[in-house]
Amino acid sequence: MDFDAIVVGSGITGGWAAKELTEAGLTVLMIERGREIRHQQDYETETKAPWELPFLGQGDAALFRAQYAVQRLNRHFTEFTQNHFVNDAENPYATGPDTAFSWFRSYQLGGRSLTWGRQSYRWSDYDFGANKRDGHGTDWPIRYADLAPWYDKVEAFIGVSGQAEGLAQLPDGRFQPPMALNAVEQHVREAIRSRWPDRCLTIGRTANLTEAKDEEGRGPCQYRSICARGCSYGAYFSTQSSTLPAAQKTGRLTVITDAVVEALDYDPLTRKISGVRWVETRTKQRRRASSRLVFLNAGAFNSVQVLLNSVSEAMPGGLANSSGVLGTHIMDHANTLSAMALMPGFEAHTSFGNRPTGVIVARYRNLDRMDGAGHSRGFSFQGGALQSTWTAGKREAGIGAAYKEKLRHPGMWKMVLVGFADCVPRASNRLTLDRSRTDANGLPLLKIDFAFGQEELAALAQAKTDAAEMLTAAGGQVIMGSDRPGAGGTAIHEMGGARMGHDPATSVLNKWSQAHDVANLFVTDGAQMSSSACQNPSLTYMALTARACAAAVSMLRDGQI
Amino acid sequence: MTATARGWNRREFMGAAGLVALAFGLPAAAVTLSSLDPATAPTPAQRALFREVSQLVLPRTRTPGAGDVGAGDFVLLALAHGLDGARQPLAQPTPALLPHLRPDGTLDHAAWLEAELNRRAGGRFLRAAGRAGILAALDAEAYAEGRRDHPWRTVKGLILTGYYTTEIGGAQELRYELVPGRWEPDLPATPQTVAYSSDWTAVDFG
Repeated sequence: MDFDAIVVGSGITGGWAAKELTEAGLTVLMIERGREIRHQQDYETETKAPWELPFLGQGDAALFRAQYAVQRLNRHFTEFTQNHFVNDAENPYATGPDTAFSWFRSYQLGGRSLTWGRQSYRWSDYDFGANKRDGHGTDWPIRYADLAPWYDKVEAFIGVSGQAEGLAQLPDGRFQPPMALNAVEQHVREAIRSRWPDRCLTIGRTANLTEAKDEEGRGPCQYRSICARGCSYGAYFSTQSSTLPAAQKTGRLTVITDAVVEALDYDPLTRKISGVRWVETRTKQRRRASSRLVFLNAGAFNSVQVLLNSVSEAMPGGLANSSGVLGTHIMDHANTLSAMALMPGFEAHTSFGNRPTGVIVARYRNLDRMDGAGHSRGFSFQGGALQSTWTAGKREAGIGAAYKEKLRHPGMWKMVLVGFADCVPRASNRLTLDRSRTDANGLPLLKIDFAFGQEELAALAQAKTDAAEMLTAAGGQVIMGSDRPGAGGTAIHEMGGARMGHDPATSVLNKWSQAHDVANLFVTDGAQMSSSACQNPSLTYMALTARACAAAVSMLRDGQI
Repeated sequence: MTATARGWNRREFMGAAGLVALAFGLPAAAVTLSSLDPATAPTPAQRALFREVSQLVLPRTRTPGAGDVGAGDFVLLALAHGLDGARQPLAQPTPALLPHLRPDGTLDHAAWLEAELNRRAGGRFLRAAGRAGILAALDAEAYAEGRRDHPWRTVKGLILTGYYTTEIGGAQELRYELVPGRWEPDLPATPQTVAYSSDWTAVDFG
């Protein structure tokens, strides 16, 4: 064997797999399809001001239309960050006739760990028990107790700032000190709590440090809130700032960039993967390496693509697909701007610094009492209070000195609540390969079929009503709100496709994120998810990855693999 | 003849910015241009018009105005490239806009504004007295109750972008702090409190 383990992908979970496996003594090859980005050296726009960029930070709209038709829809995609997102024209994907899906991608060392929103929430047994309770999807083979110690481990390492609230549906973690609510948010928190004691507005739990982690060379947040450019302080969790240096420190990690994995070779005699094949994207040369373990961490959809493309005589429907469910039951949170309100009465208040997180209102529907209107799961809100600035002038009449003077000062406070609804797993939402079309590396295009259903629409309808009620109760003047979800993918929480389950006949992975069909294959990114919950999933991916690594190492040492 | 030779290119833009700097004692604007298709390059008259219009929207006060810092040229560049939806085909163009539609259904905002302001001025807008009043009337129409889309809104929005993202607009007229270093959630505000152009959340959602 060339390596003890091969990790496909270098993003949030790939970095964790590399760290855990190398620290356990294994030699690891990490294969990343994108270019190398070095921490503190390659964050090219990190310290730039708008006036130092060719298009004043706005970007070349013509270029964006032509080359970044999807990525430009991401609010974090700007002239500052465009080099941290894929070129859509060079990385096409297919969609079904009734599908609108915005697939936001970052193909580079570190993957989307460089551009992620950093929101880090534990899932609860309301989430792990959701499929069993309402019958959608397949039951998770794990519960919160299985994952709790791994959440502890991950939070302690990556650094999550947050406020403990004692909520069963949003378990507390090992938090660094929280970032404070601003004056308006504090008021809204208290107003909501006084009328609805079961509803909790709290500061976002975010993987931004409020205390330095000197042992890892990471400094505290500088309150710039330009994280997606890359942070040389190492103040938010990314592969570069955190897991990669830990893995490299062991001396057992080999990293290859600009190499896209096309397939895994399956040996029917051993019932294991015998090799990983990839294409060097610059030279188009094909390479192969072997290992005792393979961890797929290419990102939910790309990991599924690798499995679907790994066909063999023994597994003609794709690797680890004896169940036939590979590619099915993909999900993304249905999200929309549920309410925006003007918040009068706070004109004498302002703030300083750019807090890199908003607030959340934890789920409160369909917990111990089924009170969802037309839906059986949950929704939560993310948002915050902010003051308007010069961009508000675009919506206002006026020219001249008085107009300019008005724009010189902070404007009206607003509060926004964006609803995120649990997405029910459905077989019809699925990934397949379009073998009639290939990309620049000769690989068949991934095809996405996806639509939200009545459950999500009903949840967002109730979210709109509730959000308006809460902001009104806090003295706000609601000026807009929506119950229509954005296109699939816009929550950037796409997941599923290689779901975990009890039964090999109806699921791809077992409770250790290990393929039922292939003992040395572990899929520990978003592909493994059996349900979506309504909170951000990355922390759970990390905890599942750390847990799977420990299990894999144990199995290896016990001779089970 | 190449597009660069005939067109409106980065070097030419920098030359214009340099003239602005000479005229007003300002640092040259940081905006640079990539090559524009000759067909989309603005005329000298349009450049003069957009400079003046920018200055009327955000005039020189305690700090230089938008025209002073080159916002007019930025707007023309942004319109040509289609920032803020400027190159999206119009769904229901009014009769007044029809003469200025490109074959693809998008509006040539520069040509439209030039014609519109000249019409309102009864001749060349740049030579008219009361230019601020003429522009204010157009502005009032564009933002009238119930009105949602108007090409002037696009142009004015880009003037604001072209000003508050320059060093003068962003760091002299407003305040700019790349590294705040701390989060202070509740500070007293007065009518004199000056906003931060580096409050990215406010810029995005405010």
